Amino acid sequence: MSTRNVIDISELPHHGFDTYDPVWWGNNGLLAIETSMFAILIATYFYLRQNFALWPPPIAQLTAPLRPLPDLGFGTANTILLLLSCIPMAITDRAARRGDRDTCRIGLGICVVCGLIALVLRGFEFPAVYFRWDSNAYGSVVWFLLGMHMMHLLILTGETVLLFVWLLTREFDMKHRVDIVTIGVYWYWVVTMWLIIYAIVYFTPRLDLRT
Amino acid sequence: MTEFRKTKLLTLAFGALGFLSSCGGIQNSINPAGPNADSLSRLWWLMFYVCTAVYVLVMIALVIAIRNGGRKSDLNPVLNPSPETETRKRNAVLSAVTATVVILFVFLIYSYSTGRALTADLAQKNGLSIELTGHQWWWEVRYNDVDASNIFTTANEIHIPVGVPVTFTLRGGDVIHSFWVPNLAGKKDLIPGKVATTWLQADKPGVYRGQCAEYCGLQHARMALWIVAEPQDQFNAWRQNQTQGSVPPATDSQRYGQQVFLSAPCVMCHTINGTRAGSNFGPNLTHVGSRNTIAAATLSNTREHLMQWIVNSQQFKPGNRMPQNNLGQTELDALVDYLQSLK
Amino acid sequence: MSHGLTRKSELAQISDEELAAQMDRERAELERTWAPPTGLRGWLTDTDHKRIALRYVVTAFVFFVFGGLEAALMRIQLARPDNHFLDPDKYNQIFTVHGTTMMFLFAVPIVTALGIYLVPLMVGSRDVAFPRLNLYGYWVYLIGGILLYTGFLLNTGPDAGWFAYVPLAGPAYSPGKRVDIWAQMITFTELSGLAGAVVIIGTVFKMRAPGLTLNRLPLFVWAQLITSFMIIFAMPSVMLASGLLASDRLIDTHFFNPAEGGDAILYQHLFWFFGHPEVYIIFIPALGFISSIVTAFARTKIFGYTAMVLSLISTGFIGFGLWVHHMFATPIPQMGQSFFTAASMIITIPTGIQIFCWIATLWTGKLNIKTPLLFVFGFFANFIIGGLTGVMLASVPLDLQIHDTFFVVAHLHYVLIGGSVFPLFGAFYYWIPKWTGRMLSETLGRWTFALMFIGFNLVFFPQHILGLHGMPRRVYTYLPESGWGTLNLISSIGAFILASGVLVFIINFLWSRRAGEVAGPDPWAADTLEWSVSSPPPSYNFHNLPVVQGRHALWEATPDAPVVRGLSTTKRETLVTSVLDAEPELRFEIPGPSIWPFLVALGTAEAFIVGIFTPWAIMAGALLTGAALICWFFGDPNYENRPAIESPSKVASPPELRPKEV
Repeated sequence: MSTRNVIDISELPHHGFDTYDPVWWGNNGLLAIETSMFAILIATYFYLRQNFALWPPPIAQLTAPLRPLPDLGFGTANTILLLLSCIPMAITDRAARRGDRDTCRIGLGICVVCGLIALVLRGFEFPAVYFRWDSNAYGSVVWFLLGMHMMHLLILTGETVLLFVWLLTREFDMKHRVDIVTIGVYWYWVVTMWLIIYAIVYFTPRLDLRT
Repeated sequence: MTEFRKTKLLTLAFGALGFLSSCGGIQNSINPAGPNADSLSRLWWLMFYVCTAVYVLVMIALVIAIRNGGRKSDLNPVLNPSPETETRKRNAVLSAVTATVVILFVFLIYSYSTGRALTADLAQKNGLSIELTGHQWWWEVRYNDVDASNIFTTANEIHIPVGVPVTFTLRGGDVIHSFWVPNLAGKKDLIPGKVATTWLQADKPGVYRGQCAEYCGLQHARMALWIVAEPQDQFNAWRQNQTQGSVPPATDSQRYGQQVFLSAPCVMCHTINGTRAGSNFGPNLTHVGSRNTIAAATLSNTREHLMQWIVNSQQFKPGNRMPQNNLGQTELDALVDYLQSLK
Repeated sequence: MSHGLTRKSELAQISDEELAAQMDRERAELERTWAPPTGLRGWLTDTDHKRIALRYVVTAFVFFVFGGLEAALMRIQLARPDNHFLDPDKYNQIFTVHGTTMMFLFAVPIVTALGIYLVPLMVGSRDVAFPRLNLYGYWVYLIGGILLYTGFLLNTGPDAGWFAYVPLAGPAYSPGKRVDIWAQMITFTELSGLAGAVVIIGTVFKMRAPGLTLNRLPLFVWAQLITSFMIIFAMPSVMLASGLLASDRLIDTHFFNPAEGGDAILYQHLFWFFGHPEVYIIFIPALGFISSIVTAFARTKIFGYTAMVLSLISTGFIGFGLWVHHMFATPIPQMGQSFFTAASMIITIPTGIQIFCWIATLWTGKLNIKTPLLFVFGFFANFIIGGLTGVMLASVPLDLQIHDTFFVVAHLHYVLIGGSVFPLFGAFYYWIPKWTGRMLSETLGRWTFALMFIGFNLVFFPQHILGLHGMPRRVYTYLPESGWGTLNLISSIGAFILASGVLVFIINFLWSRRAGEVAGPDPWAADTLEWSVSSPPPSYNFHNLPVVQGRHALWEATPDAPVVRGLSTTKRETLVTSVLDAEPELRFEIPGPSIWPFLVALGTAEAFIVGIFTPWAIMAGALLTGAALICWFFGDPNYENRPAIESPSKVASPPELRPKEV
């Protein structure tokens, strides 16, 4: 060991935004895992579709629609809500970087509300599918897609609540500012995944890709 | 180092021993009896010889490397090997990689063309057409024909004419099974919800054993089948016989046996054409007397075995779907008389 | 580059005795700060990566022994035709649990455990990036293993094979909870693997010592890094396969039910998309072990560093494109299958490159032939056979003869035991002195090798022939007329020789704890950073983090190389550096011992174990887990309430890496 020359790191900060902090890498590692999971689940959706002449399959009931496509109402409302929720999240993100505690509080609060409403809307999306998870393979895979995403909405909202509570009750320190920015990444990811799943679940059957 | 070499020699010796004890035999993929298995066997031997040569060469290189390296006594790390050594190493590695690529390419082409030849023929085969459905733990065999009166169902024993390609349509009945007769062809899975096709041909008369090759539960080990390849006229005679209904009982004992059959649980699972037993849950017994084995090629079809199987099939194939049958000796004798008469 | 952080040390001004005294004081403080917690609570909360790694190693080795016992039972049953040692139900449970144990509870955990122990030391860090996540990973792994074996010992072990194909493993043909136990165990072991992967990536990317650019990373660390990426992309597939299977079984979904549009082949795709990368996940770390051992025992750098790294990366990448070669016997169109033949053959090339480079290294090296190197030789002799039979299996038509026979059993054991277990035992002989401070006996080491080598080849070489001769896999017995008796008997005898080799290893290990020669920091005069600290290393790994000057840190270190100063001795801190060039960025606070990983693991356990019996348990488990996570978030004692610091958005200029003269 040399005592003549050293690299003195005693003035370095404890936390940094984005790629500086290990937490960014950990978070993105987890998101990579979940993205893989969704990608494979989406592949499963299309794989199962090959087994069906009509997708969604017809319902043998006089009162059922001819093609029981998922109703667009709640899903579309949710999509719009989630897209709009990116705005308060982006504002909060920037406020966290600046160190603006009050904006962060308000922004996170709005995000919490958005998350909760999204969860409620998601609850209504399940019945809009016309099939249960145990009706057939179509029902199973659509409920799984919606359900896995809902699990992420739940975790996202939960984490946002935690951070919100921390902001209300404890110090606005660097570590938690980095956490807010990290939640932002997760937030955008959940919304992006939803856009893809929304398009697949609600629209690809409508496009009637097979002649 | 000596130890290493010793153990290498031992391995090679065992390998040779193993091979010497190998040649010949049924249910043997390197003893082909048809064109399908034959081209696969050829592919096997090509790959085997080339791979063995590669392995020997690499092992020689390794042994030389060990001997070279083992001679030095000073163990200070070498951090800057000379440029000539580096160049020589680079060239050696590049040559080895090139050789690898070439060999793989040869394998790929040969493998692909073998595969193409085997499936390309599938579309053109106009010979015999058989439908196989896999069940836990027996094979349902149905001979198809354009003339409906030539269609019949049997189990576990398949007869084919020599020199004629036979197309198999494979369906999974419950779980995944795999149809494999190594002397004649590679295997193909029977998957519920899917239909598969394969073909094979026997070029020599003989009996070839096959076995289920996809784990299918408790008695996977005892789900085998026989393919009997016979000259065309013999085959025609056999087939003709199979399309007939069951042989009516001739003796009193056989008649009594038939009564036993029809009043025992047997009718819940088995079909005998010409009687009112018509269930498809278990193997079709219309011509069971003509088969060489029972219990999916587990037991030879003798009087003794039939009796033991009927009374307590669980002792031979524990877990199979056939219940135990508590029959008195007279009933049993008569029943077996009857079954053996169903040729 | 400009220099913000390098300076002359004030330590250069003080006398040698004062320097020594100061260093001692600092080390004593570090010992206190990083002291392992004691007692039961200590055992539940200890986040030190080395102790967690050793727990993984010991646990996985115990499972290895269990798996070996299962194998011995199978070999006894198969030694003679028509044997009645095991009934079919027992046999089917045993072969399933054997495969499941070896693949999920032994192989992956143990190779990643070596990473968890050695990567922070090799990259010059005081701990891993996410110590509590690391601890959580261990708990869920242990729970998963306990779940499987509880089921097995209660005669409700899974019996549908280690890959549990549907419909056999589905609700209709596997009633009861056997397959559910299997499916949920997968959840635990994959969660553990994923946690470990994220930990390793975070550590390798962000916690390397200054000077350790990616271009200087030891091949061992590259192997762990690539494996971790493979885990991230592969394990979700098996989570889905087992999750959808569990869902079909427990809540009546129809993913695999052909009657309602489901698909049995879908399961195979989902499983093997994971299953093939899985074997590379087991194999690639072993390639890292080989590189470390060859370097140390050939006393020279591995030839072709760049080619080696690119080979590892391409193996990892191509490994995702092979999975259909497990499905050649299904009615997938042949044209599509041929692509997978090509890919399965192409992957030979990067592995071949590595083998040729190692042989070239040995050829021009100076060999110190000790037990670790013997196991490397064993790797070459055995793995290459497995690789070559793999090329044979890659051919679609030939595969249709040898698929699902003992030929495949032979192949997979040659690549897994030859390719991973032999390197692993080499790694044991190499690194156990570092972990325990004692050398293993060289004589017993040679016996271990010889018995394992002979035994292994006796067990598995005849199985190639058995497969060609028509013996399918997973059969609990066979007929005497088959002619398979002799080779099976030889194989079974070999199993006991192999087992005796493992036994000698265990004896060697126990003996060394008592009477082994004291190892000292660097018994092998090796090149990587773990050999610069004591054996075993202190809790804090390094007092002053080193600055790395080359690919072989200890061999290329100059006497006046600088060190890193400025990390606290009273708080747990380590250095975070940039991804590509390892320039210092942050003083990262490492969380200390914590009970929350254990409690979160219990919540997970509740959800997935009780969830086998009722879906409502998942809700309850989610709540328990959530509660524990909340406490984890709020309750960490390491985080003091500090006012917000206006940190610069960009870190100051990179440090000097070459020492300046006074």
